[in-house]
Order: sequence, then C-alpha cells, then structure tokens
Amino acid sequence: MTRVDLMALMPLIILGGGSVLVLLAGGLRPGGYLYETALALTAGALVWSAALPQEAALQGVAVNAFSRTMSVFVCASGLVGLLLAMGYNRRRGIVGEEYPATLLFALAGMWAVCASADLLMLFLGLEAFTFAFYILVAIKRGASRGGEAGLKYLLNGTLSAAVLAMGIALIYAATGTFSLKALPAIPSALPDGPLYQAGVALLIIGLAFKLSLAPAHLWTPDVYQGAPAPVTALLSTASKGVSIVAVLLVMPLAGRWAGTHDLFWGLALMSVICGNLAALLQGSIKRMLAWSSVAQMGYVALGFTAVSSGGGQAALFYAVAYAAAGLASFGAVAALSGTGERDRLEDYRGLGYRHPLAGAALAVSMFSLAGIPPTAGFMGKFAVFSAALRGGDYGLAVVAILTAVVAVYYYLRVVVMLYMQPEGKAGGAEMALTSAEAVALSVTTLVTIWLGLFPGQLLDLLGRLLSIR
Amino acid sequence: MTPSFLLTIMIFLPLSGCLLLAPVWRRPVLARSVALAVMTTELLLTLWLYASWERLGAVKTALPGYLLVADTDWIPAFGIRYVLGLDGISLLMVMLTAFSFCVALAVSWRAVEEKVGLFLALLLAMETGIMGVFLALDLALFYLFWEVMLIPMFFLIGVWGHGRRIYSAVKFFLFTLVGSLLMLLAIISLHLLHAQQTGVASFGLHELLRTQLSPGVQLWLFAAFFLAFAIKFPLFPLHTWLPDAHTDAPTAGSVILAGLLLKTGSYGLIRFGYPLFPEAAQSLTPLFYTLAVIGIVYASLVAFAQEDMKRLIAYSSIGHMGYVAIGIAAWQPVALSGSILQMANHGVTTGALFAMVGMLDERAHTREIAAFGGLWGKIPVWGFFFLLFSLTSMGVPGLNSFVGEFLILAGTVKQSPLVVALAFIGIVLPLIYMARLVQEVLFQTERRPLELADLNLREITVLSLLALVDVWVGVHPAPLLDLIHLPVQLLTGGAP
Repeated sequence: MTRVDLMALMPLIILGGGSVLVLLAGGLRPGGYLYETALALTAGALVWSAALPQEAALQGVAVNAFSRTMSVFVCASGLVGLLLAMGYNRRRGIVGEEYPATLLFALAGMWAVCASADLLMLFLGLEAFTFAFYILVAIKRGASRGGEAGLKYLLNGTLSAAVLAMGIALIYAATGTFSLKALPAIPSALPDGPLYQAGVALLIIGLAFKLSLAPAHLWTPDVYQGAPAPVTALLSTASKGVSIVAVLLVMPLAGRWAGTHDLFWGLALMSVICGNLAALLQGSIKRMLAWSSVAQMGYVALGFTAVSSGGGQAALFYAVAYAAAGLASFGAVAALSGTGERDRLEDYRGLGYRHPLAGAALAVSMFSLAGIPPTAGFMGKFAVFSAALRGGDYGLAVVAILTAVVAVYYYLRVVVMLYMQPEGKAGGAEMALTSAEAVALSVTTLVTIWLGLFPGQLLDLLGRLLSIR
Repeated sequence: MTPSFLLTIMIFLPLSGCLLLAPVWRRPVLARSVALAVMTTELLLTLWLYASWERLGAVKTALPGYLLVADTDWIPAFGIRYVLGLDGISLLMVMLTAFSFCVALAVSWRAVEEKVGLFLALLLAMETGIMGVFLALDLALFYLFWEVMLIPMFFLIGVWGHGRRIYSAVKFFLFTLVGSLLMLLAIISLHLLHAQQTGVASFGLHELLRTQLSPGVQLWLFAAFFLAFAIKFPLFPLHTWLPDAHTDAPTAGSVILAGLLLKTGSYGLIRFGYPLFPEAAQSLTPLFYTLAVIGIVYASLVAFAQEDMKRLIAYSSIGHMGYVAIGIAAWQPVALSGSILQMANHGVTTGALFAMVGMLDERAHTREIAAFGGLWGKIPVWGFFFLLFSLTSMGVPGLNSFVGEFLILAGTVKQSPLVVALAFIGIVLPLIYMARLVQEVLFQTERRPLELADLNLREITVLSLLALVDVWVGVHPAPLLDLIHLPVQLLTGGAP
C-alpha cells in the first residue's frame, strides 16, 4: 500500500477511525461535543472525496471518480442525518457517544460499498452499514416500538445477508472469481449455467431486501415507524442510495443473464402496486412514508429494467432526488416531534402556518415524491420513464404511471393537513426549530427545487461516471 | 436585449413579483398594491405587444407565423430545450391571461382577508405557470408549466374555498393529473420515436411535427393527449370536477378556472394535439363532435336545475366550451377562428359572471337563487351589469359571444350540417336557463329581506372594463380576427 493509496482511502480512514475516536472520546468526556466532532469528521470525508482526485485500485477496493462521487452523496446525507439527530436526540434523552459513533461506522460501511471492486467487499460493506442500522433503529433503550423494530430488522436482515452470501458463493462456484471487473469479461460458456443464474438471482433478491422492493419489503413499515425519525431519514435515503449503487455495480455481471430484466420487471411491478395501495390506508405518517418508499424503489427498479438504455443514470438521479425529499420529509417529522413522536397524520393539522419552514419542507418533499414539477422528483420520474420506454416496457410504464396517480392522493393528504385544516388542539409543548434542523431542512428543500429546475449538470455527471466505469 | 427576451420576462415577471411581496408580507393593503402593480405591468406589456404585432410580424423569425421566438438550451441530457414562441393565438391568450389576473385580484380585494401574502404569491405563481403554458413550444417545457399551474390552484381552492373545498381541490388535482401523466408518457414516446428516426433528441414541437407515425401509434399517442386536454376542456363525461371546483373556489379562483384553465385544454389541442397527430385527430372527429354536442345539451339541462348561482354558471361554462370543441373538431379556418375567439370571449364573460356572483355573495353570504329577487330595483348598478353579461352569455348579437358562436357554426356547417343542427339546440337552451336566472334574481319580488349595498367604485371599474371588452369585440371583432388569421391558416394548412 503506497502513500497514494492511503490518500485515496483517507475518507474511509476518517470515517472508520472517527467512529472509534468518538466512541473513546465519549468514554473520556461524556456529553462533550460528540455530534459536532462527528459532523466535522463527516464534512472532512466529504471535502476529501470531492476535492482530491486520488485514485487507487487495491485488492477489493477501487477508488475512482464513480466511488468518490457516490461517497460525496453518502457523506452529504450523513451530514444532514447528524444535523437532524442533534436536537431530536437531546429532546428524547438519547445521550451518549453510541449514536454518532455508530452513524460514522454506518457511513464507513456505505463508503466501502461504493468503492468495492469485488463481491466480498460489496458484501462486507453492505452488512457493515446494515449492522450499524440494527443498533441505530433500537437506540432508544426501553422504547417498545424501537425494540420491536430493531428485532424485526435484525431477523429479516440476517436472512437477507444469508441469501446475499449464498448468491455470491454460487457465482464464485460457477466462475471462480469474485472480481467485479473480471466477472463480466468471462467467456460466455460459464454464465449460462444454472449455478451462475441462481447466484445472480439470489444476489438480486438479497439486494431487493435492502431496497425494500416487494415482496422483500415486509420489514419496512414496522422498522420505519419504530425507529427514531432521524434514523429513518438515513435508513430510507442513504442506505437505499448505496444499495442502488450496489445494484449498478453488479449489473454488468447480472445483465449477462436475461432473467435479470424479468426479475426487476416483476419487482418493479409488485412494488409500485403494493407500495402505493398500502400507503393509501395508513394513518401514521411514518408508515405512509415507509410504504411510499417501497413504491419509490419500484420506480428505481423500473430504471433497472432498462440499464442498457440509460436506466442506470436515471436510477441514480432518482436516488438523489428521493434522498433529498426523504431527508426533508423525515427530517420535518423529526423536527416537529417534541418529546413524543408526532406520528399520526391528524397531528399535522394547520402546522404549515405555525412552522413555516418545516411545513414548507414537508410540503415540497411531498410534491417531489409525488413527482410534480418543478421538483427533483418530477425529473427523476421523467428520467426513469424515459429509460423504461426506451427499453420498450410500455405496459409496465403505464401501470407505474397510473399507480403514481394513486400516490399523488396520499401525498396530497399531508399537504391538505398542513395547510387546509384548522389547527388542532396544541399537541404537547411547542418549540422552535433548532438552527441545525433549520439548516438541514432548508438545504434539502433547496436541493429538491434546484434539481427540479436544473437537473442537467447532475445528469451529465452521472452519465459520464457510468460510461467510464 | 432582443425582443424575444420579452417572452421570458413575460413568464417570469409575475414570479419575481413574489420577491417584491416578501417585505410587505404581513401588510395586506401594501401587498395587494404591489401585486396589482406587477399584474398591471404584465398587462401593459402584453398590450404593447398587441399594439406592435404587425411590426413584429414583418420581421421573419425562425418559425413561420411566429412573431417572437426564444430558444436556448435547458436540459441537454434529456434533449429538452427552452423554446418559447408567440404567434397571434398565443398573443390573444396571453392578453386574456394578464387581463383575467388583474380582474381576479381586483374582485378579491376585500374578499380575501386571511393569509393575504400567501394568496397573492400563489396568484402570481399561477400567472407564471399559465403564461408558460401559452408560450412554450417545447413539449417537455409545456408539460412542466402545465403541471406547475395546478399547484397554486390546488391551494387556492383548498385554503380559501368554501363548502367542500378540500374534496373539490383534491378532485380537481387528481382529475387533471390522470390525463396529464398519460400525456407525459405519450410525449416521451413521441420524443423517442423521433429520436429513432432522425437521431436527434428533441422535444421541440416543430421538430416533432416531422415525425413519421404509423396510424396505430398515432391513435394511441393522440388518445393520451386528447384525454389530458379533454379533462381540462372539460368534455362530457370528464367534466365532473368542474362544477365542484368552480363552486367551492374563491371568486378569484373561479375567474381564473373559467377564464384560463379551461382554455389551456383547448389551446393544447389546437397547438399540439391536432398538428402532431392529424390523421388520428381526423379519425376521432366523430367522437369529438358527439361528446361536444352531448356536453352542450347535457350541461344546459343540468344548469337549468341548479339552485346555486355559481354552479349554474359553472355548468353553462361546460356548454360554452362545447362550442369551442365543435369549432376545433371541424378544423377548418372559419370555425377554428371562431373557437379561438370564443375562448377569449368565454374567458371574459364567464369570468365576469363569476365575479358578479362573488360580489353578491360577499354582501348576502348566500348564492341561492331562491334567496334573491327584485335586485334590479335594489342594487341597480349590479343589476345592469348582470343583465349585460347574461345577455352576452346567451349569445345576443352585438355582444362578443355571438361572434364566436356564429363563426363556429358557419364554419362547421360545411363539414357537418347535422352537428350544427344539433348544436343549434344548444343555442336555445342557454336562453332558457339564463332567462330564468335573470328573471328570478333581478325581477321577481323580493323573497328575503337582505341589506345589500350597491357596487363600489372598484367593482364598477372592473366590470366596466369587462363590459367594454364584451361590447368592443361584439361590435368590431376584425382586429382580433386579423391577429389570429395567419396562425389559423398555417394550422389548417390553407394558404396564408
């Protein structure tokens, strides 16, 4: 390992080492500036990834333009997640070093996924950040909902890890290599075998769990509802975004099997129908957003069905758009929750006027998730549907867009609650937003609108990254 | 600065007016004046364009028939460009838009007292959206504006509306969205087909017009466009959102809904639907005629049974738009000119009627026909204007609706005498329900003792302006017909 390699790996070192550092510092000085330290470390990793064009190709890890850009995305979501958690956790009595340390560890895992060059590293990264989320989901000791959510996530997650590992093992057995670079180049005799195909199928199903694509989505509503809102914000955005990156990394080798398209076709169809219809029935905003995220990932899967016709670029753009809206919406839920969780839809009556910023953030993110211009969500849907139509999946596109109308209804319900209902009785003590929350919400909202008006640069960047990789 | 930059200014001037509102957000009186100033500037801008359209037309632009064209890159990754164009039809619509917004603001001067800053900001944002719809020549850009204008209207109905406002707002939003989302798929498909054939990725209308489409594909794509526009129009049986939305919207909302939002549907059909898919449109003409005629008769009969004045006018709106539909379906220069003129006429007249009912509602806090009577004697100025606009709505010669309807029927009679004969029934029916409305409200004896004040200066000014337009277009429509002559000839494929 040379000095250049070390420079390239620095974000991972900052995040991983920082996690240990925060853990130790918490032991020495409990209640010190732990969140601030974590913020500074994440910001450092972000700047490093963005600014230094160091590249490295080591055993299992490839730091290149693609991985650096993706890690900027990861760190940026991490920053927003930390900003949201600061006030929320203090109000809730979640003190101590565990939260920031675990979150940094999760970011380190995500970084590893983005930079992985073989299937083993990919698996390690995926499981590392999932492991961190097992802890984060149940971070509030004594909260029954949180405990239940943590256990459900753990059990389901272990199963998916097993499926993923089995898939990787089968691929290795069929081809004799883990390398993401070498696998697509193998002569065509091997990949046609049933062993390889089964491996790819299991790999995709394992990743479908991370993306909560139907029918591997059943953990999503309970976990999203039970976890603290800032954790849900990260779980639904950064973790999803990184899983999308993982799918794109394995796509070259999975794409050799024709069944991959059909598999994603089915996942997309089931997700958009199941997610959108179930979200209609929810009275809890977090459950509603959870089901809606199943549907949102269905639209991403629609992009995966058409990777050869620009679907990858579309899926990544959709991931960024969804991340901005997801962080803003769960962030607004976190910011508006006092000591108790503000979870029922009725609790949001008339709040748009009392909390203009949080209300606007929530409303804009609802419009973005619904795919109404001028928001990033519209451009994301535009990209995904263009790719799907170019790929020739007309039927699926029509079904997906009709279910999007259903989605508009339940997203509008939140907006109706915020602005068109008289304010209910004051639910708990009212408090102003902390400045950290205000920053997090305004940044994500501005990104949502900016990408809705000028998506060109990001699209070009993503297209370039995917073509050189 | 080139003159084509004016188009961008025209679209974004209202939106930037929102920034001017920020410092006076909590001071209603000042905020209203700022918004009015912005809207008036916009109106003056469009009037200046109208005054100089012949001069502008003398200079050749990139597209035939267009007075001004703007074209810049926007999202190269998708092949979307920022293309705006102003021809006679757009100019007429843009004038109508700027005028209607001034009217909408003026009539809600006192009616909206809550959250005034937000109300004005939404009005301005909506003006930007509607201006964009009438000027965009890139299908993706058009679609963007098409949806953007929904959001402020949704809030307008939902926050300041009456009755079942939330139900109406959501219904309005969902109805229009179903159609437009399918249209989005059709737009993307058309773009992809064009890219396949020429290798150029473009959403520009004038590039896509050159796409070769097989009849089957054309029919599907046209069906998607037609659905989106027919919902906005609204054609029977897709009209059910309209009475709810119109009735529950605040007066400003009703004026804009009737005056402008319905016109975006007919405008879209004229600008995009028919030119892009001529054969498919031709083959669906009988269906279009049928729906239009059913709409006229059905809406008139339903209007007759209404007890709420606003609902009655809402249904009459569906009937009037049926004529516009017939004129478009005929796709023949005279009828099409009539349709376009009628779009403007209907915007002014129905907008005025909604405004007048709104004024009455502010005073009496009811819109029930049965509550009034003898208003001619009680509030004579209101009565005078109401009678005038009702006569216009009936299509009395010398007032503007007559001109539009006459042209539509005169043009269509060559194509389909049967349709004209049936539509003629539709001319008689409004006479009946409007006469009933006028008779019950203005001339019956007083049924409920209501303390009503007559119109104030602000209201008289607004209504006089509207009446002036009605009479002027009714007596001397030639300048407007000249304005739309060239684009109509180009659209229908005749010699200019």
